[in-house]
Amino acid sequence: MRSNPMKNHKAMFALLFCTGFLTASPQQIYAEQMPAYVQSSQQLQTVKGLVKDASGQPIIGASVLVKGSTNGTITDIDGNFQLSVPSGAILQISYIGYITQEVKSILGKPLQIILKEDTKTLDEVVVVGFGTQKKVNLTGSVGTIDAKELDSRPVTNAAQALQGIVPGLQITQSSGSLEDTPSINVRGTATIGTGSTGSPLVLIDGSEGDLNSINPQDIESISILKDAAASSIYGSRAPFGVILVTTKSGKQGKVVVNYNSSFRISNPINMPDEMDSYTFATYFNAAAVNASWSSPVFSEEHLERISNYQNGTLTTSVPEGSNGYWADGYGYGNDNIDWFSAIYKKQTFSQEHNFSASGGAEKINFYASMNYLNNDGLMNFGEDGYNRYTTTGKINAELTNWAKFNYTTRFTRTDYKRPSTMTSSLYTDLGRQGWPTLPLYDPNGYLYSSPSPALGLAEGGVDKTQTDNLYQQASFTLEPIKNWITHVNFSYRTENMNRHWDSQMLYNHDVSGDPYVYTTSSNVYEGNEKDCYYNWNVFSEYSFNIKEKHNFKVMGGFQAENMDIRKSSAQSYGIIVESLPVIDLTSSTDYYGNTVTPTVSGSTSSWSTAGFFGRLNYDYLGRYLAEVNLRYDGTSRFRADQRWNLFPSLSLGWNISREAFFESLSEKVNALKLRFSYGELGNQNTDSYYPTYQSITYTANNGTWLQDGALTNTAEVPALISSTLTWEKVHTWNIGLDWGMFNNRLTGNFDIYTRKTLDMVGPAPELPATLGIDVPKTNNTDLKTSGWELLVSWRDKLTCGMNYGITLSLADAKTKITRYPNDTGTLDSYYSGQNYGEIWGYKTLGIAQTQDEMDTHLAEANQDALGSSWTPGDVMYADLNDDDVVDNGANTLSDHGDLKVIGNTTPRYQFGIDLTADWKGFDFRCFFQGVAKRDYWASSYYFWGVSSWGEWWSAGLKQHQDYWREDNTNAYYPRPIFGDDKNQQTQTRYLQDASYIRLKNLQVGYTLPATLTQKWGVSKLRLFVSGENLWTGTSMTKIYDPETISYDDNDAVNSKMAYPLSKTFSFGLSITL
Amino acid sequence: MLILMSMQTACNDFLDKEPESTISPENYLTTETDLKSYDDGLYTSILPSHSNWSYGTFGDDEHTDNQAYITYDNRFVPGQWKTAQTESTNWYFKYIYSCNYFLSNVLTKYEAGEISGTDANIRHYIGEMYFMRAYEYFKRYQMFGDFPIITEPLEDNSEELIEASKRYPRNEVARFILSDLDEAIDYMESNPDDNKTRINKESALLLKSRVALFEGTWLKYFKGTAFVPGDDNWPGIDKSYNADFTYEAGSIDEEINWFLAQAMDAAEQCAATFTLVSNTGLVQQSTSDAINPYMNMFGDDDLSDYSEVLLWRDYDINLSTHCVVVAAQYGDYGVGVTRGLVNGFLMANGLPIYASGSGYAGDDSISEIRSNRDSRLSCFLKEPGQHNILYSGTGEYYVDPEPYPDITSGSSEQKYTTGYALRKGGSFYQDQCGNGACYTGSITFRGAEAYLNYMEACYELNGYLDATAQSYWVALRSRSQVDTDYQKTIDNTDMSEEAQWDWGAYSAGELVDATLFNIRRERRCELMAEGLRYMDLRRWRAMDQMITTPYHIEGFKLWGPMLDWYDSSTLIYEGGSASGTANVSSPLLSEYMRPYEVLSSSLAYEGYTWTAAHYLYPIGIQHILITASDQSDLTTSPIYQNPGWSTEASQGAGTVTGF
Repeated sequence: MRSNPMKNHKAMFALLFCTGFLTASPQQIYAEQMPAYVQSSQQLQTVKGLVKDASGQPIIGASVLVKGSTNGTITDIDGNFQLSVPSGAILQISYIGYITQEVKSILGKPLQIILKEDTKTLDEVVVVGFGTQKKVNLTGSVGTIDAKELDSRPVTNAAQALQGIVPGLQITQSSGSLEDTPSINVRGTATIGTGSTGSPLVLIDGSEGDLNSINPQDIESISILKDAAASSIYGSRAPFGVILVTTKSGKQGKVVVNYNSSFRISNPINMPDEMDSYTFATYFNAAAVNASWSSPVFSEEHLERISNYQNGTLTTSVPEGSNGYWADGYGYGNDNIDWFSAIYKKQTFSQEHNFSASGGAEKINFYASMNYLNNDGLMNFGEDGYNRYTTTGKINAELTNWAKFNYTTRFTRTDYKRPSTMTSSLYTDLGRQGWPTLPLYDPNGYLYSSPSPALGLAEGGVDKTQTDNLYQQASFTLEPIKNWITHVNFSYRTENMNRHWDSQMLYNHDVSGDPYVYTTSSNVYEGNEKDCYYNWNVFSEYSFNIKEKHNFKVMGGFQAENMDIRKSSAQSYGIIVESLPVIDLTSSTDYYGNTVTPTVSGSTSSWSTAGFFGRLNYDYLGRYLAEVNLRYDGTSRFRADQRWNLFPSLSLGWNISREAFFESLSEKVNALKLRFSYGELGNQNTDSYYPTYQSITYTANNGTWLQDGALTNTAEVPALISSTLTWEKVHTWNIGLDWGMFNNRLTGNFDIYTRKTLDMVGPAPELPATLGIDVPKTNNTDLKTSGWELLVSWRDKLTCGMNYGITLSLADAKTKITRYPNDTGTLDSYYSGQNYGEIWGYKTLGIAQTQDEMDTHLAEANQDALGSSWTPGDVMYADLNDDDVVDNGANTLSDHGDLKVIGNTTPRYQFGIDLTADWKGFDFRCFFQGVAKRDYWASSYYFWGVSSWGEWWSAGLKQHQDYWREDNTNAYYPRPIFGDDKNQQTQTRYLQDASYIRLKNLQVGYTLPATLTQKWGVSKLRLFVSGENLWTGTSMTKIYDPETISYDDNDAVNSKMAYPLSKTFSFGLSITL
Repeated sequence: MLILMSMQTACNDFLDKEPESTISPENYLTTETDLKSYDDGLYTSILPSHSNWSYGTFGDDEHTDNQAYITYDNRFVPGQWKTAQTESTNWYFKYIYSCNYFLSNVLTKYEAGEISGTDANIRHYIGEMYFMRAYEYFKRYQMFGDFPIITEPLEDNSEELIEASKRYPRNEVARFILSDLDEAIDYMESNPDDNKTRINKESALLLKSRVALFEGTWLKYFKGTAFVPGDDNWPGIDKSYNADFTYEAGSIDEEINWFLAQAMDAAEQCAATFTLVSNTGLVQQSTSDAINPYMNMFGDDDLSDYSEVLLWRDYDINLSTHCVVVAAQYGDYGVGVTRGLVNGFLMANGLPIYASGSGYAGDDSISEIRSNRDSRLSCFLKEPGQHNILYSGTGEYYVDPEPYPDITSGSSEQKYTTGYALRKGGSFYQDQCGNGACYTGSITFRGAEAYLNYMEACYELNGYLDATAQSYWVALRSRSQVDTDYQKTIDNTDMSEEAQWDWGAYSAGELVDATLFNIRRERRCELMAEGLRYMDLRRWRAMDQMITTPYHIEGFKLWGPMLDWYDSSTLIYEGGSASGTANVSSPLLSEYMRPYEVLSSSLAYEGYTWTAAHYLYPIGIQHILITASDQSDLTTSPIYQNPGWSTEASQGAGTVTGF
């Protein structure tokens, strides 16, 4: 069987990578480059040898290399090699799947080398809840990531680098804004409730932490616990998966020092382009005429000025108004500005530096690191930027031969700043407020606001947030009796957040260039929040076996955690000196000298959980595996009688490859394991920390019906609280298969699962309006999410010495709502039996080109229910139910008129493709990520241009230019009409295909030969170039970025426009001493 | 397991967490201050006042025969106002719940003596809540007529809520509102804060007269149609819970009389509490001119000293602002005064403009229109060349002097929709002219309305004006610098002339008598731009005539001498010689500007028309569906649709029997 391994390679290639882009090339490299390697270099002696495996079979294609040089060869078809080497040279013999051996050459004596199988993949240890486990013995569904996958990615936080790597782990970057952190989700839609959240639990070295606040380069490995069997040990905190981050530790031996740094250049991607000013004005006028407005938005005189300004015969961006001021920018401006280009920079600069040292002696070792990240934002006016400083120190000490101690401290500081006026509404409003005709500068060259965003960004003050996270962790590991190990962990996290903003008076300039006050208010805000969290874990494990066949491991423990949150803020008015915005230097008066009372606020809140847990692992000869978990959990969120809950899980595994009958196959298939699990979990992550308590909403100083000239304190009616509120239950089934083949060159796993979320705290049922208050949320909704995940990885080494690998991750999940309180079946809300994310809409027949065409259509499909005055340029909808009328019936499931399901917004088939290779010091990585199927309905004015909310809620982008008019009858968009949405009904014609593939990362590195760098005392020196978000393939409208559209939000006014993502090039080096 | 159980008990202490920063309802509404804060939380939600980026309450008469916005309104284009499947702002109980929660909690505590504080204050704050429930109910009742009466905070129990969805006959709703106002009058003080920014007894009396007059006149004019309870065509008649309906007063006529008498009584009590603010009859044009208190009342920073103001909202440049003064510097934020309203004003000598010897100078220019007129028109109608600013300051959005009206502006903020614009609500202080940063007070209730309510109720009830009514009328005319001889006006009134300008010349499609008409005219002129016109038109049933005869909303006489104010090449109309998008109506249609007839594609191009169903709002279909016991049969719901409206969504109104 060993005789023709290449044949097997080929078969597997063909099987797995139907895309074909890898099938041919390795073969060619093999064929062409072999002669170059066989030839010997300048040396004196010839060494001969034979390489075999443990069973005595010759190994073909094993690499033989003189240590510390590039001089080498590979074994031939009989396993033989010969090589000219210097006397006494050390040879390194390696082959994929085997442990590399070093042998000293002896002159004239043929070498006999027996390579041992590398069982690392079998012995590989995976971090699981409260412990570790050999991968081969895992029965739950666990995804893993090691440090390599995070290497050299020019990202600001670790979560960004996880996107697409582990199937079923969904990372959503909804904005490119520097402080924005991606949302993390395991296995699809967890909850549609409005009363609870379904985020996974993130634990850093066993203590709850924030994936965004850790230095990515400190990460050793990450485990994603996906099914209930793996995560149930964490009980009520982990119903929707757990992310376990393990950080690097020191190792015994020489001190290793590493420094690496990178410099980055970013450019915004997917920026909308605005129409030129004249096109814009005619577009808005067309919409006004179509709406039968009594006057167009831009008069003939105004249009003429716009045109003259464009062709240069007019040089002032806005005419003089009355009173010596410039005229109103919206009413009279004739500038020609693309506000997106004006507001965002073309490129920006960032850098990251990382230093780490580790090492240790016999009884003690350490790891320490420092990291600095500086990220500049894209704001052209004002400044936005993000800095992160982290330090980590870790000491492991062996106190006695039965006790170990570990102490870790980790400090992270993030500094984020932005112009005070750069809030999320800047992005959502820029399209509708940034009319191309609106002057950016007045004719004297001063920024001009009437109002427009640039002046506020440039001069309106800054908003700075500083967040400090300090983690302290101490743990003892005691093993008084062999195999009885007790862990005592205590960790404490303190988060301090300080936010400052100042809002400054703004000045416009009049016609003679003199400044005058435009915005009179100025104020300073200081807000502080301190979160204190502690976590106790005590657990003990004992492992034993009976007759070397029955292996047992029992574990039991207790956990408690507590969080206290304290917030306060103060805002004072009247900054005395513009450059000194502090509360002490405010006058507490307004511009006119009236006293303004400063506003203050403060609150405290807390929550806690406690739980007992136990686990039993059993296996028979590593062949049959079983694991039982139990967790008994209590939470402060519910009252005592509803507080405690028991969560069991069971998982079974069968290592088929260890069966006697499998031995004949074992040469090809190294590992094959079938897994099964079932578990029940509860969710206590209610939005409110006190969901069972009613409270009066009391607010100081917010009542604007002034009394005695001052704001009033107001109180509001308390919301209703359901008396029966209790735990959500999550039941998960999982079946999985793991395999390793061809010396573990081909590895992978496949999981299929069903997760039921029962008694979810869903949206409240609809009740008659006579109630007069929001219906209280109760446990009234069930969801069923089912999906599958596939991870396939191939890695090999070519005879030329090139290592390469390809990893494909692919996951799919869909969610069905199996119970929902919607008695009338209205389509305005969810209903039982609904596929989550479905989009209801009309079928579009097309745009009528003539009145005849429209009239003929209307005769058979009356569209009165959708609007009136149907003319050419309007949309013709299909009468699907043949009642000669186009409408939505009662808009219910039983009477939905001509509506039908036209798509689904759930992202399906999310994939990642990771290609890696290294050769002679060069390394290469290419990583694609995407979504293969998804529909998206874009309802906001950004998509439509002219909207049904009139001219203040409309935009003119280049795409909108293709609207229907007499001289552009074959248009994409229908005729624009202010204040009318008859053409903008949810419909097939404008449904977007939001699938995409994005080249997330491409990097090339070169490690200088050790022989060279060692002369400088450097053991490793790597240079690299890395690019992020380099290319995107999508058929979606270019108005949006397919990544930043939100998943389920279909709010019509919300524009879904975000701070753009960036394309980033990074140049860096890494030095290890 | 035993150990586990004991540890669990220990843990429970650790897990017992109570809210640390919120107040639980059990501990609230127990002090005078609590009651006040709860009241304060509802003021802006329930009471009308200026909102920003508009002409505030002065624009609330848009879409009537008095004022016209840039775009037409669907209620005058039958077929375009459609039933909605879901709607959550009209059939709306949120504030009713808030009021009920307060009253049901506080009244028991108050009676048990469990509320700490000064008794008078506690009583006053309870009275405010009765007032707010009444005001909120009055809004719903105007939209729907028959409406559920709910006096307790209900629980989230579907059956109970369906039961509570039963629509009470409109007169019973009105009686309920009046009883709440009686409670409010009983509990409240007069002007407790000395500043008139808190709800008070006088406001409750005024509101009571308004509500009673509304129901009294409604029943009178809609008698014999589906719009009054007990009628054969009344949609409520099919509901078993209405099987025994009778009018509490015995018959509909006695019911009408009861309401009108209530209106008179409350109005008279209210009128006794204040005096009218004086009027110089002149627009102040320099700092040395005498100020005109009557004009300033609508645009002063502090309204507490204006005797006629019963309740107002205070604004502050830092704390809460609006845009009304800026709107009044320009074209009233697109809300123009109609030719109809302008023509309705009398001459100062008391004669209608068409009467012989009136001295009417015509409407070729605004200066002619203003000359020798009722001072309420000559003061408030802006004329080009007048000063809009007398006291300089920092605000940037001022216009001085008043320019020729910008009738073609594409900006709704600056457009003069009809060519006519008001300075009511304006201020001569430049400091008030920051964009969205005006802080003049907003009048909620003004005493003059009590005079008008009394006059009208008195005439409707008795058919003549009693001495009190006569004195009120004289006082109002005297204050307006109009000849106080109203009989002269009545004698010179030609109803066929008035019918061209004033929808209020009609009730139920018939012209009313000249005395009643002149009472209505007084009301129209005095309460111009104060947000009550559409309410009046509905209760008078004053739009039936437009079911058959369209009405053209017109503005100033553009195609007359005032054309000289414009470069005629910038005025583009359909069928005219200038090219470009039309921005004015054609002179072939009318010499006067017709804002909704600029483009022939406009659905209001043929004029405004009416359909009877529009007197009430349609109920969202989902409200009927969710209360139906059989969802395939909406008649199983206790909620019935209003006359003429469909029980299917997206349908325009149909006809109503008898119209």
